Amino acid sequence: MSGERARRIEGALKVTGRAEYAGEVRPDGMLHAALVQAEITCGDVVGIDDSAARHTPGFVDQVSYDDARSLAPSTATALIREPVVHFPGQPVGLTAADTLLAARTAAARVRVDYVERPSVAAIDQALDEAYAPAMAGRIIGASHRGDPAVALTGAHLVVRNRYQTAVNNHHPMEPHVVVCWWEGEQVVVHTSTQAVYGTRAIIAHALAMPADDVRVVCRYLGGGFGCKGQLWWPWMLWTLTASKRTGRPIRLELTRAQMFTLVGRRQETVQDLAVGFDATGRLVAIEHDVLAQTSTHGEYCDTTAEVSRRLYACPNVRTLHRLVRTNEPQPIPMRAPGTAPGTFALESALDEAAEQLGIDPVELRVRNFADHDHDADVPWSSNSLLQCYQVAADRFGWAQRPASATVVDGRWRIGWGMATTCYPAHRQPCRVRVRLQPDGTIVVQCGTQDMGSGTYTVLAQMVADALGVPLSQVTVELGDTLLPEGPFSGGSQVTASMFPAARQATDALRAQLAELGMGHDETLADAVQRIAPDGIEAEGAATANADIDVRCMSFGAIFTEVGVDADLAEIRVRRVTAAFATGRVLNPLLTESQHIGGLIGGIGMTLLEQTVTDRSSGRIIGDNLADYLVPVHADMPEFDIALIDEDDTYLPGGVKGVGMLGTAGIQAAIANAIHHATGTRVRHLPIRIEDLLHELPATTPGALPSMSE
Amino acid sequence: MSGVAFAYSRAADVADAVARGGAPGAAFVAGGTDLLQLWKAGRATPTELIDVYGLGLDGIGVDGDELSIGATARLSDVARHPFVVDQHPLIAEAVLASASGQIRNMATVGGNLLQRTRCPYFRTAGMACNKHRPGSGCGALDGEDRHAALFGAGSSCVATHPSDLAVALVALDATVEVSGARGVRRVGLSELYRLPGERPDVDTTLAAGELITRVLVPRAASIGRLATYVKVRDRASFEFALLSVAAVIRIDAGTIVHARLVCGGVAPAPWRLPAGEALLIGQKPERGVFTVAAAAAVEGAPPLPGNSFKVELLRRALVRTLTTIATGS
Amino acid sequence: MPIERIAVGLTVNGCAVEQWIDPCAMLLDVLHELGLSGTKKGCEMGACGACTALADGRRIVSCLALAASYAGAAITTIEGVGTPDELHPLQEAFIDHDALQCGYCTPGQIMSALGLIAEGCCDRATIREGLSGNLCRCGAYPRIVAAVAEAAGL
Repeated sequence: MSGERARRIEGALKVTGRAEYAGEVRPDGMLHAALVQAEITCGDVVGIDDSAARHTPGFVDQVSYDDARSLAPSTATALIREPVVHFPGQPVGLTAADTLLAARTAAARVRVDYVERPSVAAIDQALDEAYAPAMAGRIIGASHRGDPAVALTGAHLVVRNRYQTAVNNHHPMEPHVVVCWWEGEQVVVHTSTQAVYGTRAIIAHALAMPADDVRVVCRYLGGGFGCKGQLWWPWMLWTLTASKRTGRPIRLELTRAQMFTLVGRRQETVQDLAVGFDATGRLVAIEHDVLAQTSTHGEYCDTTAEVSRRLYACPNVRTLHRLVRTNEPQPIPMRAPGTAPGTFALESALDEAAEQLGIDPVELRVRNFADHDHDADVPWSSNSLLQCYQVAADRFGWAQRPASATVVDGRWRIGWGMATTCYPAHRQPCRVRVRLQPDGTIVVQCGTQDMGSGTYTVLAQMVADALGVPLSQVTVELGDTLLPEGPFSGGSQVTASMFPAARQATDALRAQLAELGMGHDETLADAVQRIAPDGIEAEGAATANADIDVRCMSFGAIFTEVGVDADLAEIRVRRVTAAFATGRVLNPLLTESQHIGGLIGGIGMTLLEQTVTDRSSGRIIGDNLADYLVPVHADMPEFDIALIDEDDTYLPGGVKGVGMLGTAGIQAAIANAIHHATGTRVRHLPIRIEDLLHELPATTPGALPSMSE
Repeated sequence: MSGVAFAYSRAADVADAVARGGAPGAAFVAGGTDLLQLWKAGRATPTELIDVYGLGLDGIGVDGDELSIGATARLSDVARHPFVVDQHPLIAEAVLASASGQIRNMATVGGNLLQRTRCPYFRTAGMACNKHRPGSGCGALDGEDRHAALFGAGSSCVATHPSDLAVALVALDATVEVSGARGVRRVGLSELYRLPGERPDVDTTLAAGELITRVLVPRAASIGRLATYVKVRDRASFEFALLSVAAVIRIDAGTIVHARLVCGGVAPAPWRLPAGEALLIGQKPERGVFTVAAAAAVEGAPPLPGNSFKVELLRRALVRTLTTIATGS
Repeated sequence: MPIERIAVGLTVNGCAVEQWIDPCAMLLDVLHELGLSGTKKGCEMGACGACTALADGRRIVSCLALAASYAGAAITTIEGVGTPDELHPLQEAFIDHDALQCGYCTPGQIMSALGLIAEGCCDRATIREGLSGNLCRCGAYPRIVAAVAEAAGL
């Protein structure tokens, strides 16, 4: 059932530096842009004086609020139309010049006058203003089933804790960039985006243009993880405005420091979680209250408590999300939004419960397996979680798990931990065009983009399989709104969305060929030469899923071995074994890469990543990649990934998403292993040296062999 | 980029560098790996860079009783030089714990010693920082202070010195040779650095235009000496030290006769711990002795809320370092 | 006072070039002006390694390399390593091991690995430590190490 371990078809372009990313287009006469950034935390912009900036050699133009006022009002244009500063560093204008240095020099010379207002720089400065949003992501913000309060009162065991997770930033390696130019009334926009079509729609709306007059291109995307979307649009639109006025192509690229504030963040959470069990280890109640930050100009809430609603069988569940507005940057989804912080809390609590109940952590989860979605009371389209536990536990050697805090390897205390992960499987509308060329090769086109997940390759595989041609005969074109409309890259949906559309397109192509008289034994190459010498093409279109009677999710089980330095409390992950069930695996090679990458992102969130805000000013400090620590090569454990093939007959092609799964669950798996190694429960992320140091017994004095020269 | 352009020229020789280096706005550049970061962040605004990379100050060799390391020797060359590896492996250890392979191929010894603090308030554009602009305040004192100093700080500045190499060199009693308008002088590496006091913007005792030309390490100190470098950090590599320890001891007839305990990342300069050193002298190299010395060494360190764990961490790191030396593992 | 551009001669991928540059231009920017976009800008602060190139055979981060200071140097970028039709064995190994995802850090990883192999690396732990100056946010690390180990004959 599994697909071929095909190599990435765009690999040769990427390893030779020939793949063209959005910022690498260099039209003649191109100007460079730089952002003017607010120096206050909160207030109104009452004056912008660019007279000094205009004297900068090479200066060409400056745009600000007045120049954007003609844009249509929307969330994408609010920050560039309304002269209100919501957070420190918010752009208040943009300069364009012959060189990047000149643009930046000019930006630094723009004088901005403000009227400051009192600000809120952290959620604990405005707790009494917390409110419950209607929605948390795509789900209702609050839920209630059964009577959890009563059930907790009568429970055999209640584990009740507060869990906290830090602000993280996405930091794809490619900075956000746009290179745009006008051709009469039409505009061409090369930009690093997770949604070429979404970007086109926003531009067309903001500038009141026909969508067909806007072309958005992103052939290769240097990562995104959630941040190359809507929060980038305002700054991109200012660039388009300047380009129109100057009549010159303009390039704006964010600095790494700007990527801490301008393009979103994983929101911090404070989660109060209570889980109640009966004496046999069955869940009787869950209460999961989430408090999180959002900005003063936009509302965003991760689906943090969703896992508590449906991951396990439990009759009494109450969940609630609340938000506090602060003068900090706007949060948006980041890889495994909601499930990453949510599983950290739930799966840590289950580990505590297992310990207190004297039940093996895996066994506790097996006992609470949800044979259907208890929240919506509908069946799963498929759920191979039990098999994931078994396969991963076997490969990890979980049965040999020693007693807590007993294993030492040199200077390292060793601990084992595990946790469950899950992520919803969704689809978006998608169109795919398949063209059979006169020479018998195939061109496949879809206006989605490859974030690095392997979209080029799996789309080629889908079509090659369906048409029975070798992969080498298939060329894929992505990342251009001249192509049929494809999905945005987010929420692990692209592959599942493309599959039915690609299948429809190949079916339609075959039907056309049959109608034209293609013989049963005839190859496509022979047939096209004979009956359609100019080539022939067909399109397929698929709709979004509307899964009402069934719940579609991917699941996985993650086991980790962690070492904690017995004296210095340095924490290193040594081994990760995980089993993931994601429907039909189209390409095991690429799927494993996605899982490993997801797990590494989760390791970063667990042990390293924290965006630090100065509590008095609300400014991000240490806004560089030397201070914001992400994992490096030397942090890497050994990975062992098991792919559990599922035969999901409900989903088109049996395809579920992959990308998010590894970035949830791993946090708790590591925290639980740290507890196993040291006896210390840390209930916040990231977990660092200072969280463990004082709990580790100081080195006991003892004589070493005497030494002489 | 800061947006403030600078002029560039290559120094013809040391005399030329020294003659021009004292001008307002002038700065020496070699590897550039720290200065250019600061320039890009708008935290350094030189108007003229004088390139000393090509002055031939990159030799490594023996000079009398000393190991001589040229100021523009690149870190990667230092770490693999046979003299260094054979006689002063502590230096190679510290260097290889620094930065990344690429940075070590660019950064020089002199630049490493003179690199500026990693305090994020100093490095982040727009933050109050007395080291950046005297009188603007210290954001770290009442703000984020995980990185702040345990020793030697003042009410004006709690920044730490980030060099790994400098810690090792102080433990080896290194000196630096400095050329200036008044000629050549030598200064102990410990005396190169100054505490923030009323002038936190001034890191060193170098006069304007003075150029470090080489570092000298006494060779005699290497005889019978045991040494190692321990660096503690969150990430397994490519991170500045949360703190570090270089320890050097010499044992004669089963007794410690010489000791240097120097820590990094916890003070405005590589910080010697004389109280700990004193308690090692005359003792046997045993864990109990190390524990007592380590406890004495960190006594009186006045922490801030966010860095108080480092007092205990430093104590443990000292024990680890000494134990590692004593057991040879 | 405007600062004059200066002429800098470099050998880039075997070709001698003479370029008028800003004194404060970084080597990375000069490479881009030469149309060599394979060397990527990731952080501009030497903290990510995406801009790694070889200068006289040694790996450096070109974002912190003052171009003027490298006058006379022989620079090798990813464009000088192999072409899609004629891949270097390390590039081939990267594709075989799926040692890339978004591909943006990939040229830097490859240039850094070439520098590391020249410096000498004896095992996977050395490769991991030696390549730690090259961040990969997609998380291709284990597969990069596998590819480099293969190319290094380990």
